[in-house]
Amino acid sequence: MHRLCQPGEHFSRRAFMKSALVAAGGAAVANWGGLVNSQAVAAELQKTGKRCIMIWLGGGASQIDTFDMKVGRPNAGPFRPIQTNLPGLEICEYMPNVAQLADKLCVIRSMSTGDPGHISGTHLMHCGRRNEGIVEYPEIGSVVAKYLGRPDSALPSFIQFATGGQSGPRAGSGFLGPKYQPFRMSTDKPPAFTTGYLKEDEEQRRRDLFQFAQGEFTADRHAESYQAYQEAKESAWRLMDVRDIFSVQKEWPKVKDLYGDTEFGKRCLLARRFVEAGVPFVEVDNAGGGWDTHELNFDGHKRLIPPMDKGWAGLLIDLEQRGLLDDTLVIWQGEFGRTPGINNRIGRDHFARAWTTVLAGGGVKRGYVHGKTDADGRTVTEGLVDTGNYFATIFHALGIDPKAHNYIGIRPIPVAPDHSKVVQELLA
Amino acid sequence: MPSFRTLRCTLAAWLGVAAAFGSAAGARGEQPLREVLDAELKQAWEREEVQSAGPADDATFLRRGYLDLTGAVPTYDETRAFLDDADAQKREKLVDRLLADPRYARQQATVWDLVLFTRDPASDVRARPGFQKWLTAQFEKNVPYDEWVRAILLAEGNSIDDGAPTFFGAYRNRQMDLSESVARIFLGQQIQCARCHNHPYEDVSQLDFYGMAAFYERLAVVRAGKQGTEERIFIGEKSAGEILFTGPAIDDKAGQKGEPVSPKFLFGEELDEPELPQNFNAVDRFPEGKAPPKPFFSRKEKIAEWVVAPENPYFAKAVVNRVWAQYMGRGLVHPVDNMGETSLPSHPELLEAMTTAFVAHDFDLKWLVREIVNSASYQIGSRGSSDRAFPRWFERARVRPLTAEELPVAIRTATGFDDAARQAGKDPAQEREIGNLNRYMNVYFADIENGVGDYQASLFEHLYLDNSGDVSQIINRRDGNLLDKLLDEAQPPEARVNRLYLSVLNRAPTEVETRRFVEYVSQAQDAAARNRAWHDAVWALLNSSEFRFNH
Repeated sequence: MHRLCQPGEHFSRRAFMKSALVAAGGAAVANWGGLVNSQAVAAELQKTGKRCIMIWLGGGASQIDTFDMKVGRPNAGPFRPIQTNLPGLEICEYMPNVAQLADKLCVIRSMSTGDPGHISGTHLMHCGRRNEGIVEYPEIGSVVAKYLGRPDSALPSFIQFATGGQSGPRAGSGFLGPKYQPFRMSTDKPPAFTTGYLKEDEEQRRRDLFQFAQGEFTADRHAESYQAYQEAKESAWRLMDVRDIFSVQKEWPKVKDLYGDTEFGKRCLLARRFVEAGVPFVEVDNAGGGWDTHELNFDGHKRLIPPMDKGWAGLLIDLEQRGLLDDTLVIWQGEFGRTPGINNRIGRDHFARAWTTVLAGGGVKRGYVHGKTDADGRTVTEGLVDTGNYFATIFHALGIDPKAHNYIGIRPIPVAPDHSKVVQELLA
Repeated sequence: MPSFRTLRCTLAAWLGVAAAFGSAAGARGEQPLREVLDAELKQAWEREEVQSAGPADDATFLRRGYLDLTGAVPTYDETRAFLDDADAQKREKLVDRLLADPRYARQQATVWDLVLFTRDPASDVRARPGFQKWLTAQFEKNVPYDEWVRAILLAEGNSIDDGAPTFFGAYRNRQMDLSESVARIFLGQQIQCARCHNHPYEDVSQLDFYGMAAFYERLAVVRAGKQGTEERIFIGEKSAGEILFTGPAIDDKAGQKGEPVSPKFLFGEELDEPELPQNFNAVDRFPEGKAPPKPFFSRKEKIAEWVVAPENPYFAKAVVNRVWAQYMGRGLVHPVDNMGETSLPSHPELLEAMTTAFVAHDFDLKWLVREIVNSASYQIGSRGSSDRAFPRWFERARVRPLTAEELPVAIRTATGFDDAARQAGKDPAQEREIGNLNRYMNVYFADIENGVGDYQASLFEHLYLDNSGDVSQIINRRDGNLLDKLLDEAQPPEARVNRLYLSVLNRAPTEVETRRFVEYVSQAQDAAARNRAWHDAVWALLNSSEFRFNH
């Protein structure tokens, strides 16, 4: 019989809590076994302050009409390629702004994820794997929030624009628990319940009274639950105090030419404001209408690409100018790509076997195109990247050990799927 | 092959029922269980040199008992009545009264409903009033635990009229998940690792997993229309069909067929089953809309009988551990659904004694709860410097957050919302919820645990409590509610602060607290400011940890 140490017995709970609070920003996390590991990782992160912005192309953008053009082939479609500032790389003519930033991009033309369903694909491309049995996996934003979030931050560690469209619902924090739930927004206004109904002095008096009542009760009753509860209350107050960050009215006139005067542009600006303020993960989706162009794919993409090009490019430029791009990984992806073949409604359908995602900034190679597809883009012929390896690489680039364990009861769950490997070629 | 492995047999010395007729248990036969609990905990404190917190005062016991037995906090009147009662037997009498309260059955049914189904929003059976009504009735009638679990495992009748089939109904086309859940919930055994590989730390082989899953392989969910949002479900069992085992998942090849595996009781013997006659016309699928016929031979009945048998070394032990944890915070084996061989109990003899006594009392849950709640162990104080929410040696009361079901009820009770409704001649239960209290409590306050029972703080919870109009609205003055009474200028402010504390926290304020709150409300210069100040006073207490947690 194996005599297994119960890892929890090695640490006092409070000692664990303290180290977790300082190290990983995670109070009360079922992460016994990952402690040593995550502590080391987190100490490193405290220095570098890595962050991540995911631009989500809900519905699935067409790779052939953006980054993996098949010029001269029957399925190429009408879009023309333009030269980028990266020698040898041509992309769609409707992305002139991003074309000038191609030397900052890490284009992966060989994604093969295998799930062409909106709901399951959305889940897969957020969690890196499917749920199984009783395990509900957290989405990447929650994982990043756990490892890179800071307990002293006034803002949540994971802010998400997920306004529906064709994509499936987001998975949320799964087994990591409510502390890492995404903080959801839909517009550039302060989110629900961040604005109080009292005047400032009334609010302060009421808070003081609460602190008194709380203090009387906990004076001779110490419990980590009470403390965690009170700390969360105080973080809610800090969030209320900085809620101006959620409204872009003041800054917008100055930057709208950079980001493009669209809702998506505003979201990209908000993402920059958040990461600048220390939020480790922000997901931004395309406001209004998705990329699911089963009909009239080219009309759709011609309409969808330009605002995306402008907002994404604006974000990269702004991050670079502020010195944030080295520490901020910007992910550009949807739940899948679109079929190489054009259907009889001049549309392209779901395609997850050979498609493109793009990374930029923190931790990944700049000015690099990874992998190849065949002449018509039907299969990956070189450098195939599957879901597990893709997520392992992203976690690694963010300084999170893909093999670090979280626990459900005694069952260890690695951050990235079992047996996944970091794709070294993608790393800076 | 022996009926349980050698290893299991040696462990059986403390595993409970195997020792049911042993001498240790016999010697204790006459002693009330509550005294056994107290003696065992005390012995451990001495051995571990742990200081206990001493007994809880009446007010602490009152709130804890109400919450644990009814899911509600006491009203102001109930609080006064209990605290003013000079009867030395008043605690035991209160326990009897609460155990007889209809809310007891509802509360237990809520707890077990969540154990069985969790809050899974994607569940096939998320609307299950038929099951909940049935389960509540089991607690109302105090049906022995083994009987109602047997009914769940037999799943006879339909989900709407008979309730019980709903549990299997949640596992449509997921028979392997079902067998995992049966093992985990009712036997405290985690076998899911063995689905893909032999358990890395424990003696659970893949054949143990597939042997159990084979009992459920032939089950099918048969749909028969809807009533409201609830689906009518029958559970059918085919007469043929085997589960196929292909070896460790990592070696799986596409198209590999696998070998059939016979049903085998967990860590026990294979099922002895009759051969299907050659000419038997085994149906492959059941038509929707009507009750399916019985199979030639029912594996489901065999596994149901095996699970709930008094001789089963896991069944009774798993439930006493779970019920203990429900009232005491930690399980003696913790977490409660992981009682594998590497998870040793903190108090092995106590677990054995409880298991034995529970079986001897014919699986009577109400008896078990009564013994636990009447023990000094349960009625322990909550003061102290231990940081653990669930103290390892039970030397101090556990701290658990009010659930998403308890919290709205507690807020309504504390603010006198229900009192005001009654005063207006209405049934509080029929009063529409204020704002979106219930909905938000479920969104922001549900599943506030990390899976092993530890509280996790949430930012959203506080944004909601602080800034939503919902909580403010429920505090707002209406005839006969708490704020209405607090604004009664005929009463001195001290008396009103007293009422405030008794209403919200179910205890009298200390002198320091009275002074601070009187000072707070006395600064108000006009009626509007007084309203604001007393509103704040209610809000401050509603938001304190003392209210948020059961301690």
